[in-house]
Amino acid sequence: MNPSPEEFDRLRKLLTLKRHEPPPPGYFNHFSDKILARIEAEGLFIRNSWWQRLFPELDAKPVLACAYGLVIMGLLAIGVGVSQSLETEETAAPNLGRPWFAQAPASDAVLPVSVPVAQASLTGQTNPASSVNPVISSGAPSFLFDVNRLKVEVERVKHDLH
Amino acid sequence: MNANVLDKAPTPPTSKAATDAPEDQHLVKRAQGGDLEAYDELIRRYQERIYATIYHMTANHEDANDLAQETFIKAYQALKSFKGDSSFFTWVYRIAVNKTINFLKQRKNKTHMSLNDLDFNAEHDPDLVALVSDKTPRRDVNLIELQEKLNGAMQKLSEIHRLVVTLHDVQGLSHEAISKIMGCNTGTVRSRLFYARQQLQAYLSDYLK
Repeated sequence: MNPSPEEFDRLRKLLTLKRHEPPPPGYFNHFSDKILARIEAEGLFIRNSWWQRLFPELDAKPVLACAYGLVIMGLLAIGVGVSQSLETEETAAPNLGRPWFAQAPASDAVLPVSVPVAQASLTGQTNPASSVNPVISSGAPSFLFDVNRLKVEVERVKHDLH
Repeated sequence: MNANVLDKAPTPPTSKAATDAPEDQHLVKRAQGGDLEAYDELIRRYQERIYATIYHMTANHEDANDLAQETFIKAYQALKSFKGDSSFFTWVYRIAVNKTINFLKQRKNKTHMSLNDLDFNAEHDPDLVALVSDKTPRRDVNLIELQEKLNGAMQKLSEIHRLVVTLHDVQGLSHEAISKIMGCNTGTVRSRLFYARQQLQAYLSDYLK
């Protein structure tokens, strides 16, 4: 069968009748709400970590990306500035305002320092501390973090007590 | 009368979908990041066209409603795997078409039409008025009868041929857009369209002379 162009044209016009079949009035008002409710009810909701959410957000909003960049650059600049000013202060007044454990080791101290008791005994020195020659140390006893030396020191104290 | 009824018939979506594509990409990325508002916007953009395609394929409002909802839910589930090789519009259409064809294959012998009422504009469409004028051999025919006859004829087509007619002659999609949705070349789309029109013409010959 070879249909004429006129008949094809009439068929095309007849098919436009299909465009006049809308769904019931107001049908689409809550259509997306129903779908989203089903998505949540069925536990299909996409949950991403904050950084997985951040990148699409930044990609979608270049202004936001620039703002984030500026904030990060600003924080870095402040951080560098603060650290430099601290270094300057430290050079001007070393060890001031710093706790004893953060200070420089005793060997670097300016004060005249005698050898501590424990160190003296361990290094074989014959000049232990006394009331005439007190122990002055600006740093933490070095054996505090050396378990072996600490054991030796404990044994020595026990022996002295007996 | 409800404003929805007074709305004009759906316009061909091809050009609109093409211009919406860049904006769709942003919405898709946001939705992939868990933004439900972005997905809500995507649904609103395509709900009418997806519903209409399914409705014209099934000729049943309830089935179209269920399938349209399932289409968007399925699309959401698969959204993470959407890489943007095609437009979101093509991708979601493909999901709708596959779902509908699978549904029709299962339904096969249980066809029941529940046609939506014609809108107000149908009675004032000059092309349609001409079709029910006294030039038609079936002078007693009215638009509602014509609607039923047309849908009856559409249901006699195979799913593939009905789909091509729906997408091209009802929805106004281009051959190229249809070929992307159906995953075939444009030549195949044209030949299927030609065959489908021939079939329809034979079924509706009384109303076309």
